Amino acid sequence: MNQDINIKKVRLNCYRQSKVPGEFMLQMRVPGGTVDAKYLSYVEYIAKTWGDGNFHFGTRQTFDITGISYENIPAVNEYLETYIKEVDAQLCNVDMDTVAHEPHPWDPKEGYPTIGARNITACIGNYHCICGNCNTFELARKIEPIIFPSHYHIKINIAGCPNDCNKAHLCDFGIIGVARMTYHPERCIACGACVRACQHGATRVLSANPAIGKVEKDPCCCVGCGECVRVCPTSAWTRQETKFYRVILGGRTGRQTPRTGKMFLNWATEDVILGVLKNWQKFSAWVMDYKPEYLHGGHLIDRAGYKKFKEIILDGVKLNPECLVAEDIFWHETEYRSNFNVKPLSMHHTAGPKG
Amino acid sequence: MGYSLSVSQADTVLHELQRDYRIYAPKRFPKQGRYSDTDIIRYAEVNSFADIVWDIKSDYPAKEVITPIQQAIFYFTEDEYRASKVKSKPILLLARPCDINAQRIQARIYAGNGGYDDLYYSRIRELVKFAVMDCNGGDDTCFCVSMGSNRTDDYALALKFSEDGVLVQVVDEDLVSYFEGMPQVDYTHTFVEENELKVTVPDLSDKNVRKALKTHPVWQEYNSRCISCGACTVACSTCTCFTTRDVIYGDNPEVGERRRVTASCQIAGFDQMAGQKEFRSTAAERMRYKVLHKFHDYKARFGQEHMCVGCGRCTRRCPELISISATVNKVSAAVDEIRAALNR
Repeated sequence: MNQDINIKKVRLNCYRQSKVPGEFMLQMRVPGGTVDAKYLSYVEYIAKTWGDGNFHFGTRQTFDITGISYENIPAVNEYLETYIKEVDAQLCNVDMDTVAHEPHPWDPKEGYPTIGARNITACIGNYHCICGNCNTFELARKIEPIIFPSHYHIKINIAGCPNDCNKAHLCDFGIIGVARMTYHPERCIACGACVRACQHGATRVLSANPAIGKVEKDPCCCVGCGECVRVCPTSAWTRQETKFYRVILGGRTGRQTPRTGKMFLNWATEDVILGVLKNWQKFSAWVMDYKPEYLHGGHLIDRAGYKKFKEIILDGVKLNPECLVAEDIFWHETEYRSNFNVKPLSMHHTAGPKG
Repeated sequence: MGYSLSVSQADTVLHELQRDYRIYAPKRFPKQGRYSDTDIIRYAEVNSFADIVWDIKSDYPAKEVITPIQQAIFYFTEDEYRASKVKSKPILLLARPCDINAQRIQARIYAGNGGYDDLYYSRIRELVKFAVMDCNGGDDTCFCVSMGSNRTDDYALALKFSEDGVLVQVVDEDLVSYFEGMPQVDYTHTFVEENELKVTVPDLSDKNVRKALKTHPVWQEYNSRCISCGACTVACSTCTCFTTRDVIYGDNPEVGERRRVTASCQIAGFDQMAGQKEFRSTAAERMRYKVLHKFHDYKARFGQEHMCVGCGRCTRRCPELISISATVNKVSAAVDEIRAALNR
């Protein structure tokens, strides 16, 4: 096998290099992990026509098709036009003729313009789940045009509730649907179901007050899961109409310093989430001196420092009155190598515009 | 007298009626359902025709208007007390036949039962006039026809709703004046005669059958399925059980109030006696108690009719998807089995 292939260019086009030289795996974006089932026939067609017939569930909820030969990529890209137009341009309102919001004409026959911002993953959320507090894929579809197409990397996971089945704690920007509850004491029969549910499955913020025959709540530590609403036989607990979100920042996996994300925002509204993400490009560009590198968001926060991140990311964002912001964040990394960060000054990374 | 009202005419009449009546009807509470982005429909005072949810069944029954989940019964200060008061303005309660029949059934428990009239029930009940809402047989949990509660004659108004307005039959002469100048039509209310769902109530007249049913394995599945949350009895049109609870104001235990609060035979501790003795300590036993009360015991005690009116709300509200109609049909099958064994 003697091939001259610019694999970085192919990767940017959303084809991953195979261990078999000359073969690639296509990754089709599925923002929020939910699309019309009719697109499964597209997957089947690509896999059977140009791939090896197999289909893999991408770990970031992409449709992955293995065994595509380099020379077939143009044909696959041409076939992808409908899918990309229908899913990204129409369903998610993505302006395909931009990269990082700058004009950049897209050739619809050329496949994906960039792999940059990764596919936004989501659990099924309240579209189906009895625990979900928000419609996860609708939120994903609103975020997609903000972060894509862009060469700046960000991994966003959306979980419908604090159960966090979708691992918002293990990505750059994890979003968790949370509910703020209203207590209707006139409907409470003091059965204790909510107290037990909170104790068993959440943060023990509810307690029965025998002097008043009612339930009391420590609102400070409420995790916003809505279990009290779910178990209440009388609708004495209800979710407020406004949807709220928690943002877990800077989580990651990886070979060097994997870590769980930490809470950045609590009780943020959708407008705040979208406003913050609109600043993501600006922050990434500033850190890398306007030259995108293959680096995920959490690392950029490390380089700039959380306080710089906070300054840029909240710029111009009008926070809702309930919204709380982390003053500081102290992550705890797994250091595969002890004192991983201790090294000669010359090896230190820098952030911000140079010169 | 019959009238055909447009939406705006219905609003006019509603506002006229509001001078003399508080009007209660099923009302939508957006996004207050058990699951995210689901609504609940429950009884509340309505101020416009658009507030009235007429096309689907309410999650909670009409009984909440007459016997609220919670009410103050008296206030106490040291050795003095005074009874709570209720608003004296009459109530016009929009309800389907199941909910109206449920009030006759509840009345036997609250009023005159044991030679005693319950003040807190009667003082509200006597303020209530019903406006029967047209029902086309409800949803797939409804079985009023099986329980004989599909008809009623206890109503002052009969209402047939549509998107465009409402047809009204005025039965109570006192209400005719509120419709002055409104377009008259011939309208006579009719009742649903068949539900999609049919339930066979078991024949439990034989004491030996009842004894065998008590320990029959048919109840066992509820030990793993029922979570004893009580949602079924709160949603029940006819359940009457309540407890009393003293609420102490601040740090002075001599000052406070006594409240009547809905209780549920399905919640553990309901039947706990002094010495922690419980009659029914498992979910299956509690389920058996409820089912037999609704489909045998009440009728045995009061005669005439079963307690269940077949509104199906317990089925709709059960978070574990336990269907009362399926349960009763299973019990009927168990009774057939028992009877066959006894006759062998």
